Amino acid sequence: MTAVRCIDICKTYTQGDVDIKALDHLSIEIEKGEFVCLMSPSGGGKTTLLNAIGGLDIPDSGEVWVGGQRIDQMSKGELAELRLANIGFVFQAYNLIPVLTARENVEFVMQVQGVRPAERHVKSMVLLEEVGLEGLEDRLPAEMSGGQQQRVAVARAIVSRPELVLADEPTANLDSHTAADLMELFVQLNEHHQTTFVIATHDQGVMRYAKRLVRMRDGRIVDDVQQNAA
Amino acid sequence: MRILIVLVRLAWRYLWRNHRRTIIMLGAIVLGTWAMIFMTALTRGMVDQMIADGISAIPGHVQVHGQGYLDDPSVTRSIPLSDEEFAARFADAGFSAWATRVRVPAVITSERESRGVTLLGIDPAAERDFSFVDYGAVDGRFLESPEDSGIVIGAKLADTLETRVGKRVVLMSQDPDNDIADRGFRVVGVFEANMQAFEEGFVFVGKATAQKMLRMGTATTEAVFVGDDYRNVEPVYDKVAAGVGDAVTVSRWTEVDTYLGTMLKTMDGFVLVWMIVIFLALSFGLVNTLVMAVFERVREIGLMLALGMKPAMILGQIIIESMMLLALGLLIGTALAWASIVPLEGGIDLSAVGEGMEMWGASSVLYPKLYLEDVVLANVVVLVLGFFASLSPAWRASRYEPVEAITKVG
Amino acid sequence: MNIVLRLAWRNIWRQPRRTWLTTGAMVFSNILLVFMISLQFGMYGLMINNTLQVFSGHMQVQAPGYVDDAKMRQVVDDVQPLAAHLREALGSDTVAARARAFALASSEDRTYGIAIYGVEPRHEPRVSNLPGLVEHGRYLQDDDAYEIVIGSVLARNLQVATGDELTLLGSGVDGSFAAAVVVVAGIFESGVKDIDRNIAQMPLTAFQDMFYMNGAGHQVVILAPSLADAPELQARVEALVGADDGLVVQDWDALQPGLRQAIQADMSSAFFMYGILVVLVAFSVLNTQLMSVLERTHEFGVVMALGMKPGLLGRIVLLESALMGLLGFVLGVIAGTALTAWLSVRGFTMPGMDEMAAQFNLPARIYPPVTLLSVAIGPFVVFVFTLLASVYPAWRLRRLHPVEAMRVN
Ligand SMILES: Nc1ncnc2c1ncn2[C@@H]1O[C@H](COP(=O)(O)OP(=O)(O)OP(=O)(O)O)[C@@H](O)[C@H]1O
Ligand SMILES: [Mg+2]
Repeated sequence: MTAVRCIDICKTYTQGDVDIKALDHLSIEIEKGEFVCLMSPSGGGKTTLLNAIGGLDIPDSGEVWVGGQRIDQMSKGELAELRLANIGFVFQAYNLIPVLTARENVEFVMQVQGVRPAERHVKSMVLLEEVGLEGLEDRLPAEMSGGQQQRVAVARAIVSRPELVLADEPTANLDSHTAADLMELFVQLNEHHQTTFVIATHDQGVMRYAKRLVRMRDGRIVDDVQQNAA
Repeated sequence: MRILIVLVRLAWRYLWRNHRRTIIMLGAIVLGTWAMIFMTALTRGMVDQMIADGISAIPGHVQVHGQGYLDDPSVTRSIPLSDEEFAARFADAGFSAWATRVRVPAVITSERESRGVTLLGIDPAAERDFSFVDYGAVDGRFLESPEDSGIVIGAKLADTLETRVGKRVVLMSQDPDNDIADRGFRVVGVFEANMQAFEEGFVFVGKATAQKMLRMGTATTEAVFVGDDYRNVEPVYDKVAAGVGDAVTVSRWTEVDTYLGTMLKTMDGFVLVWMIVIFLALSFGLVNTLVMAVFERVREIGLMLALGMKPAMILGQIIIESMMLLALGLLIGTALAWASIVPLEGGIDLSAVGEGMEMWGASSVLYPKLYLEDVVLANVVVLVLGFFASLSPAWRASRYEPVEAITKVG
Repeated sequence: MNIVLRLAWRNIWRQPRRTWLTTGAMVFSNILLVFMISLQFGMYGLMINNTLQVFSGHMQVQAPGYVDDAKMRQVVDDVQPLAAHLREALGSDTVAARARAFALASSEDRTYGIAIYGVEPRHEPRVSNLPGLVEHGRYLQDDDAYEIVIGSVLARNLQVATGDELTLLGSGVDGSFAAAVVVVAGIFESGVKDIDRNIAQMPLTAFQDMFYMNGAGHQVVILAPSLADAPELQARVEALVGADDGLVVQDWDALQPGLRQAIQADMSSAFFMYGILVVLVAFSVLNTQLMSVLERTHEFGVVMALGMKPGLLGRIVLLESALMGLLGFVLGVIAGTALTAWLSVRGFTMPGMDEMAAQFNLPARIYPPVTLLSVAIGPFVVFVFTLLASVYPAWRLRRLHPVEAMRVN
């Protein structure tokens, strides 16, 4: 089953009088349960592609399908619902809502979804434990290290069991040891729950975990290989 | 509902993230609310007192006169209805009070001085409840019956006439044939009033005595009716108008004393204008605070949008934040206003500018009056206008594109 | 331009919306203040002038105690010669003698009690504008004629017209019975009900005759060229009629004690309101400046590490407020003055104003004058408070440590 399908999508930014093709007639298909790494030099179009898949940004042309639904023509409200129910996001930084504690951040999405408090509570505690944060549930983001914050963000991204997790340079602010831990966690989730992962990164260490490696340059896919994960 | 809880919690936390800003803004709202309510209470107190004084002095709530009397206050324009007819129609009508009286201009003379006054020939028992004179506090005694042969005058008048209780004065006026009607009276009581003008301007004699002096039989020139609420005299007016027929003039107090009537309306308007002005002065700070609050968390707004919050929820969150701030300020401000008015309810002494207050028609002791309606009005004005003032920053916040918001630097 | 000034100017435009909202609060208050204060000053001036010119004048020479009791026998002897003497000594013709009594006035059909003034027909028009308000008939002419001018309401109540006779009945200065028949020469209409209902004037000589005054009167009324000239004129009058004559000079405040107090009462409530408005603006400025300082903590840390003194930073913050305050001042004064100037031509009125205004001898439409003081005073106070409000944010900078400051992001 296809989790993500992009057909011939283009996205052009105009900077001054120069047109920058962030995505240039790009097509890609990702099956459910895949673990994909997007690689490119800086400016290659990774973030733009992730945003297009997550419905945060609409491509100028082409089609984007997620979980069998075409999303590039959806309204803002429909997109919000799609993200809420089906997609988990992890960003490079500023991932957490600063006025909520770790647990509240994890529960946030479920709360908006309308999950009952008891269920919410159990699920978030289980996940926080799973990402190795037991004991830190009631800390505010400002009271945690970058790696801890990033793990809270991961917990939040996967707590409602989305089919698809999009992560944009999740390890950029982490040391290599913490980064490795985080990747282990991703792999584990991928294997246990068949969650599809699409991760954009520069980090060689991260690439080692990828089962499929997609190299991009100037908005195009230049290389797409399956590999045996480390 | 569950979304509301999420939003309320977020709003509350965000409110205290920058506690300095919130406290300053809170201070401004508290001060504004306090000023709205405090000033309104003073104004209400003043107007209430003015009207209470004014109405008790003369008009009652509704008056009946002979045709043309208001323009020509003469004994010849007496009311063509006898006291018996009045009693038959109104004894059980349910008014707080009513009375018929003789009211004519007169000159009062002592052996030293003369002054122009308004002579009120009254039935003291009927007017006890709404008279501006406290019968019990009169130096000497007040009139005891309509047949009382004495006269009660104001302290200021007694001063200028160089007379006092026990001495004699002469009243002069005209009878229905325009012959001079005069009669000597013994001063039996001297009253004090809130307003100097009352002490100088009114003298009380028994109704029957006045009728005899003025040779007007049992006729009267004025009937006054008092209902429950001076702001709403229509029920009284309708009842009286239905009872007396067309041969007489029926008027509301606002028509008899147009200054007081206008004052009442103007002050109602003033109260609202004052509240709105205060709010507008506050609104700049409020909008500013919200703009700053949105500005410093653009990225977080982008994050929430990316996580699947709908723009409407962002809008709601900012508005809730603003409403919470206002509600908290209103609560403290209202409590403060209450706390500062209650100790003053015994009256604020303004005798330093007493004669000036009298020019305004007010007495020199001001009793602030805190009305629930005014408190509600102030709160509603702030909340409703505050809601509209927050719409623009909240709308902007909800219009952010998640990508741009997240990637925003700084 | 000075570098500090330039820096401050650039800084306030880093957040244009915030700056406009802050100055917006100032402009709003300033417009309101300019308009309200101009209107108020205009009204007070009118209240004083109208009240004094209608009748009481700027000062009066009276017997001691007359101002409180106004008793018939508290007289000024030989009042006309005294007035003549004052006219000559002061070189002014706005001096007139008067006497006052209460009497019962009867026409064919009606009888009312009135206050009768004995006046000098030739001099009275110089000190009061009542003579000029005669609508029917004419004002008094001969010093000893038995004629009278009355107010329009009184004429209506007595049902008389010019040429009709009135019988006056009262008591003379010695308590004896006084009576006379007078002809209505004219009817005036001042618009002030109390005056139109209660007051009548007759020639002083005839008055003295009727009330057995024996040449005496009750007051010599003196009108100064303007309110501002009154105190100086009063000093000269006092030098002329000393206490040894058994007379006192009462100023307008003593003659109309309600007037100044009404103004004071109104002013204190107005100033309370203005005060609130100004403090609310100050809150707004405090908020803005504190935020802008907190926001720049990191930046301030950097420049301090580069060697800038905290005192200079504080000055920049104060200067920023001053610039915003100045902007609010200028815009507020311009807009407020424009509004007031427009109203000073078109006139200001509101529903119910005629009733309210009549109580204070005011017209129903007021043309607020634009003066430097009335325009500048409110905005100036706002400006001062703007500076005061930014003292705390500026002062906080003194405690700033560059290293700690740079850790804040
Ligand atoms: N909002 C924007 N306005 C203008 N140009 C943009 C915008 N967003 C992206 N671009 C341009 O589009 C191209 C692709 O950007 P994108 O952010 O997708 O690259 P990236 O692969 O994520 O790079 P990096 O590794 O640095 O994050 C770049 O050349 C970038 O400059
Ligand atoms: Mg990127």
